[in-house]
Amino acid sequence: MKKLIRLNVNGDDHELAVSPDETLLGVLRGPLDLIGPKRGCDSGGCGCCTVQVDGKAVYSCMMYAVSAQGRDIITIEGIGRDGELDPLQQAFIDAGAVQCGYCTSGIIMVAKELLNTLDNPDEDEIRHAIAGNLCRCTGYQKIVDAIKLAAAAS
Amino acid sequence: MTLPALSDYFIPEQQSELIELLQRFGENAMIVAGGTFVRGLEARGLLAEVEALIDIGALGLNGIAADSSGVSLGATTTLAELKRADFIQGDAAFGAVKDALACPPVQILNVGTVGGCLAASAPLYDVPATLLALDGTAHVTGAGGAREIVLTEFFTGLFENALQPDEFITALRLPVHAAGTTSAFLKLETNANDLAIINVAVRFTLDEAGLCRDARIVIGGGVGECYVRAGGAELELNGTKPGDDSFQAAAAAVAADIDPVTDHRGSEEYRRYMAVVYTRRALARALERLR
Repeated sequence: MKKLIRLNVNGDDHELAVSPDETLLGVLRGPLDLIGPKRGCDSGGCGCCTVQVDGKAVYSCMMYAVSAQGRDIITIEGIGRDGELDPLQQAFIDAGAVQCGYCTSGIIMVAKELLNTLDNPDEDEIRHAIAGNLCRCTGYQKIVDAIKLAAAAS
Repeated sequence: MTLPALSDYFIPEQQSELIELLQRFGENAMIVAGGTFVRGLEARGLLAEVEALIDIGALGLNGIAADSSGVSLGATTTLAELKRADFIQGDAAFGAVKDALACPPVQILNVGTVGGCLAASAPLYDVPATLLALDGTAHVTGAGGAREIVLTEFFTGLFENALQPDEFITALRLPVHAAGTTSAFLKLETNANDLAIINVAVRFTLDEAGLCRDARIVIGGGVGECYVRAGGAELELNGTKPGDDSFQAAAAAVAADIDPVTDHRGSEEYRRYMAVVYTRRALARALERLR
């Protein structure tokens, strides 16, 4: 039996019929065609599905879509403004922090919460913040550099 | 669908409504708070029987209230809210909770809940070990009314606890601890987002003579189906003057208190050895908090 739900994603309202065990990630990547959040481990271990729900970074693979109703959901597609990249996205380009790119959107979404919480995080705070996100290209140093760059620019 | 027997997803707004659902679906109801545990089980195909998912986020069970007798943590209080709570910031007695909350990634802290990590009843989790060491009590409600279950009697097996099918956790209560109480938690893990190989939560009180009293030493991780209270080690510590010698002696006693498992994260021998090492370090960390 499908359930009719309403989701607000990147400022837009959507009405959808979903299976009751469908995850937020499944709805984003499926009917909403927002493929920035990636499906990696699908069990809360890799972080590449990270989105923001009510301003907080969450694993979208671990949240049921039904429970995401009434919440303010932001994906990587929703953080730029008027065709301009978000400063974090620009910093990832400038620091060369994107290799294969699969982890990038999740790390940017968790870094956004960090920079909303702390103006000038130190290296330890940055590394701790991205501890729930895996980069299999092992490119953490440039990722940390990119987040520092974005923090300095803001 | 990954839950083949699932028929519906409920978001009750009243506790009575939740109790009715729990009575209706019995063992085949699964309560969802943060969802992290449920999704973890689902991804491993362990929830084939579940007919109803019940989100308890609309019941208003969140919030932290402190009074002169202790602190009450609402069941759906997130781990992030607990981490920010005033009461654990400067108080050595709650140091273990603070230590444990440094372990999960922010994505888990933001949605994982106090009640959820208890109800999961998996000794591999970190925060419940500290709540056990702090003499926590689960407040639960069901068709038969409200009751309290001390955590030492709450966990009854792997993924099993003393809750009846129609009962749910409403809050976790921590008592006020005597002056001079301190605690600490340490976790041995393979990487930053893994379950514990072993974890250790310790607590003790320094009395007026400067001796250890009321020791609690809880070992979790791969130590079997439930957390283990290391009773022999607690006895060893009580009455001693805190320091390297007494901590070493108490920690050594942990080896005889636990019966660890062997799995891909570590052997029984390794776990037993590291439980001793981590207990000694946790006791030293707790003592450091009083200085």
